[in-house]
Amino acid sequence: MSGVTSIRPHREFVLADCGDSAVRLTSLSPDAEERWQAVHAVAAALDARGDDVAVTGIIPTYDSLLVEFDCAATTHDAIRALVERLIELPAQPSTRGSRQFEIPVVYGGEFGPDLDDVAAHLALSPSEVIRLHSARPLTMRCFGSPGGAPMLDGPAFPRPVPRRTIPRPHVPAGAVAVAGRQAVISARPAPGGWPVIGRTPLTIVDPATEPLSDFRPGDTFLFVPITAAEWSTYEGVRHG
Amino acid sequence: MAESITVTTPGLTSIQDLGRLRGSRFGQMTGGASDQYSADVANALVGSHRTAPLLEIVALDFGAVVSVDLLVAVTGAPAEVQVGGVTRPQWEPFVWTAGEELTVRGIHDGLRVYLAVHGSIAAPSLLGSCAPDSVLGFGRQLTVGESVAIDVDGPPIDHPYFRVPLFRLGAEPASFTGHWTIDVTDGPDVHEFGATAARLYDTPFVIGDNTNHIGLRLTPADPGSDVPRRDRSTEVLSRGVPIGAVEVPAGNEILVLHRGRGVTAGYPVLAVVTATALSRLGQARPGQEVRFRKVSVPEAVDGYRSQRRSIALLRSRVANAFASLRIPTHTDTTSTQHHSVPQMESA
Repeated sequence: MSGVTSIRPHREFVLADCGDSAVRLTSLSPDAEERWQAVHAVAAALDARGDDVAVTGIIPTYDSLLVEFDCAATTHDAIRALVERLIELPAQPSTRGSRQFEIPVVYGGEFGPDLDDVAAHLALSPSEVIRLHSARPLTMRCFGSPGGAPMLDGPAFPRPVPRRTIPRPHVPAGAVAVAGRQAVISARPAPGGWPVIGRTPLTIVDPATEPLSDFRPGDTFLFVPITAAEWSTYEGVRHG
Repeated sequence: MAESITVTTPGLTSIQDLGRLRGSRFGQMTGGASDQYSADVANALVGSHRTAPLLEIVALDFGAVVSVDLLVAVTGAPAEVQVGGVTRPQWEPFVWTAGEELTVRGIHDGLRVYLAVHGSIAAPSLLGSCAPDSVLGFGRQLTVGESVAIDVDGPPIDHPYFRVPLFRLGAEPASFTGHWTIDVTDGPDVHEFGATAARLYDTPFVIGDNTNHIGLRLTPADPGSDVPRRDRSTEVLSRGVPIGAVEVPAGNEILVLHRGRGVTAGYPVLAVVTATALSRLGQARPGQEVRFRKVSVPEAVDGYRSQRRSIALLRSRVANAFASLRIPTHTDTTSTQHHSVPQMESA
């Protein structure tokens, strides 16, 4: 790393072509929080520009940003120059502070069919996995698929959690899963390869409303263990 | 009076457009017509905006009756298109006469047929698009007896005595014969595959049964051939993946993400299918053999621009023809999705 890294670490990045209609920006800052802030600041700046740059999609995640564009209406060079210019701008302060949400979860059993496997892999008891998962708030880094699932930093497990060898054909909405050092809440029913350790009765994404989700990257989620008997108390409640 | 198209044989048909832009930021799939070229041309042929809703008819026979004379165009995979039992051409506009049944039968070689109307098809919109999203449960397949409301603002013009094509606008039909060569560019993570990346080009692949608008699964035509292999096993944080991403999960198959893809994934991206080849893959049937060919990003961009230029030229021919016949065109849209007319300067 150059000397610049220590002064402006978020400005160290890689910009790679992703075919004829997208480029991918990846921050190389040594600090995870700074990587996230850097790519989300560029995403927000691109978003604010609307349609004038032929950008058709913006996908910011943990440390990278995919910028999709209409290559008949602009060029890779123009998009690359724009992204490079935006990353040099001072990060805009967020328009609102992050909020914390409490997410009730029934862990294990039919609600979390992979809890025991995850515990075995981590050499922990299932209750210890639950304790670590619900010990402190986890930060939402981005929306993922399918359907706009909140993707979070993972709990403080001793090592990364492997994905399932055989993905599940059906994972229900509200499934609470972990993989690698990430955590997720399924927004909609879909196939999935992440080990499922629990499920929340809350409605995460509601296609009948706009915005579809109350959550935003930067929000924090505190998982609260509940019993299966308490499921109906929260079922279908939309949070936020 | 409200006009409508009433479905007699639904097959697998939905109301579709070019997809949901800007939803990817919120984790929503882009979706839209799997063969964007054929859908774009269909709307061009009837003078409708390129993002106007149209029908996407997949694989199975379709039939419907319309309540008013309607100018329509049918593109996409080859099929037998008839109105009242009389064959009508694909890739040219024609009149669908009120009260008569339009049928699309025997779709072959490709998988998807597009039917665009001169006027507008009413469809619910989510984040600025009517494209169905199976994950959100938005949009749906048409059912028998269902009426789709249409708004028609100008009388269509047909030959008064003979059912011969009134228009010869010269749209370039998509090709469905010969070898299926799928152009790809190097992906951002190609270096993670070392020399095995070349297997993508050396090996003929077969489209698997478990293939849909979300993605295609392909296996080597020769089961003894190996697929490219990633040479490292480090954890990858989830990140945005482009439509067309070629991914290599465990097992002996490769994945090509199509328009219904989830927006994030943790697999390295070996290659990316070009925009023009994606339209072609949107027509690929299970069992179809394809070969991948590497092209540069500038070549891929040139190919796409050339395609868009040919559609723009078609649009200007349509505008001239329609203007001379006093048929209105709909080149603008009230949709929140704005597609500017592409600048056709050279790359």
